[in-house]
Amino acid sequence: MEINYKFLIDTFYIVLAAVPTTLKLTIIPLLAAAPFALAIALIRLQKGKSLWKMPVSAYVTFVRGTPIVLQILMIYSLLPSLLNALTKAWSFDINVFDWDPIFYAYIVFTLNIIALLSEVLRSAFGSVEKGQLEAAECAGLTKVQAYIHILLPQAMVVAMPNICNLTVNLIKGTSLAFLMTVKDMTAVAKVSASYGYNYIEAYLDVFVGYIIICSIAQVLFHFAEAHMGRYRLSKQK
Amino acid sequence: MRPFSLQFLVDVFPILLPFLSATLAVVVGTIFFGSIAGGLLAWAKAGSYKLLERLAQAYTYIIRCTPPIVLLFIVFYGLPKFCLEVLDTNINDYDKLFFVIISFTFLFAAPVSEVMRSAYEAIDHGQYEAAVSIGLSPWQAFFHIVLPQATVVALPNFGNSVISLMKDGSLAYTIGFIDLIGKGQLIVSMNYGAYAMETYLALALIYLILTIGMEKLFLWIEQRFSRHKQAA
Amino acid sequence: MDKMLKVKNIYKKYKQEEVLKGVDITVEKGDVVVVLGPSGSGKTTLLRCMNFLERADQGEMEFDTISIDMHKVSSKEIGKIRQKTAFVFQNYNLFQNKTALENVTTGLIVGRGIVKTKAVEIGMKALEKVGLADRASFYPSQLSGGQQQRVGIARAIAVEPDVILFDEPTSALDPELVGEVLAVIKQLAKEGKTMVIVTHEMKFAADVATNVVFMADGKIVEEGPPKEIFLRPKEERTKTFLRRILPQEEYNI
Repeated sequence: MEINYKFLIDTFYIVLAAVPTTLKLTIIPLLAAAPFALAIALIRLQKGKSLWKMPVSAYVTFVRGTPIVLQILMIYSLLPSLLNALTKAWSFDINVFDWDPIFYAYIVFTLNIIALLSEVLRSAFGSVEKGQLEAAECAGLTKVQAYIHILLPQAMVVAMPNICNLTVNLIKGTSLAFLMTVKDMTAVAKVSASYGYNYIEAYLDVFVGYIIICSIAQVLFHFAEAHMGRYRLSKQK
Repeated sequence: MRPFSLQFLVDVFPILLPFLSATLAVVVGTIFFGSIAGGLLAWAKAGSYKLLERLAQAYTYIIRCTPPIVLLFIVFYGLPKFCLEVLDTNINDYDKLFFVIISFTFLFAAPVSEVMRSAYEAIDHGQYEAAVSIGLSPWQAFFHIVLPQATVVALPNFGNSVISLMKDGSLAYTIGFIDLIGKGQLIVSMNYGAYAMETYLALALIYLILTIGMEKLFLWIEQRFSRHKQAA
Repeated sequence: MDKMLKVKNIYKKYKQEEVLKGVDITVEKGDVVVVLGPSGSGKTTLLRCMNFLERADQGEMEFDTISIDMHKVSSKEIGKIRQKTAFVFQNYNLFQNKTALENVTTGLIVGRGIVKTKAVEIGMKALEKVGLADRASFYPSQLSGGQQQRVGIARAIAVEPDVILFDEPTSALDPELVGEVLAVIKQLAKEGKTMVIVTHEMKFAADVATNVVFMADGKIVEEGPPKEIFLRPKEERTKTFLRRILPQEEYNI
């Protein structure tokens, strides 16, 4: 099969140059989403009725039940005009349409991850033994301290594989950022391909690029999980 | 900014709904072919032949690291080229549905093979041993005893894979396939970008109904087939 | 008495460890052969090799008129042997997704192609024999351990095997439930069924066995009628084992 090898190699470097954007699109939403996801998880874990449970559950259900493409289209079509109307109403002299589109990408992915991460944390907390909280309180810790020092660390270890999964899915999800004119790996590949119609070479390059990034992420999580889980029993022969 | 038009939201549903069949065609076609492919991969992973096992594992790993849209583009642009140059057939004019189902079959087969493999391994080997010990052939033991039990174990995870597939399938419009989202985009562009929010909201509601409906369906199926597990 | 089943020279290794080091067993029609021995002696492995749930590294089997190399055996030959034998497992291994009756009839309907009505007839008779006819439509999850094992035995006798192999049938049961299972096996022995039983229940072994085989470290140490083995053991190893297991008082048969 004819492959333009020169193009293949050249484009690979172009794709490589876009890797930082993809990483930014992954790491920033993850970090930004974490506190909100934790809050939502804890709200939903509370026994009994709470004013917050309904809207928060509805939000999570909405994000989980709709394709991310749709979420991107919705935010990208709505937010700029909304912000524009707001800044005009408050008489700020800012041109919303000059903003770097990556800003909108951060918002979409963060909103998405908040919901998905809250589900992961909710089930992770749910799997920590109830007795741990009781024992902590008996030992004199307040509920908050118990959560921070005892429950959260244990929940995190359980959650690690799922968070790894979530991160890998997010990395793949960022491939849709081109819909918001963000110059991530997939976007630059598309652009590069359209110049000379070398589509297959460009997409093969970006395909390899994602495999490398996802693999590195999985290796990092593997070490993180092993480190955090040192207190667990290891199989002694 | 233009106010939200509830009227448009209501009016757009009957325009969108006929294209539900396109979306479902993708899902059903992919489930069919993808489950067969996934079954073959799961069999390979069961380890009868080391080489096949490694290949199946490599395949699953690679697909797991691949964004669906990249896979879609590779198939859409690469397959015609491959067919033309290697098999000497021109498939450029084939219906986009063909390319969509092929890409998503490649995509779906990987998680499905994992679902099947882990469900199979969850069944105690003693069930198989008991079956052959009273004279069933290995194939009969698998088909009559192991498979039914493994299917029940697999159901929830299989359901999750189907729901993921439904959501990933929405990317088909990027190669010009006119399904729900494809039609939605056409509507938005026909209105020069106006009523975008209403259109997308309508699509979101349709997808919510689909995904929540799927979840409930699989839950119901699982309960029906788990009657034997309820202790007296 | 005609010889029915004979296995010779069985060797089996797991990784580097030799579990069976040259074992011979002869089973004649109507025999109840009880295999005793400490853990790790290879008794369960021996049983599983006889039914080809494990493949021996070496060994010869003669079953009626069939001669088999136990290492190079073909699936067809395995199938033939399994049509003549039945296995009762330590943890019952009842088909979880089938009722008690279905557990018993599956071997008949699927494995032997018997018509459903006839299979149900045979199945109910087998369940009656083990005292569980009234539980025919219960699922294993709804039965106690003792009941499950009795269904396992019904499943084994329904296919009318020449030999029934029991792998520690009561070891997984609560003490109160052991009696009901042993009662069923004793009844089968009375009816002259040919059986090979691996067990720890000494009194039961003494009651039921026509032949006792004592194994240790992958070899047969001593064998003979129960009176000989229990009252007048010859080998030191046998004596040590019995001393630890049996109560100190004189044993009356």
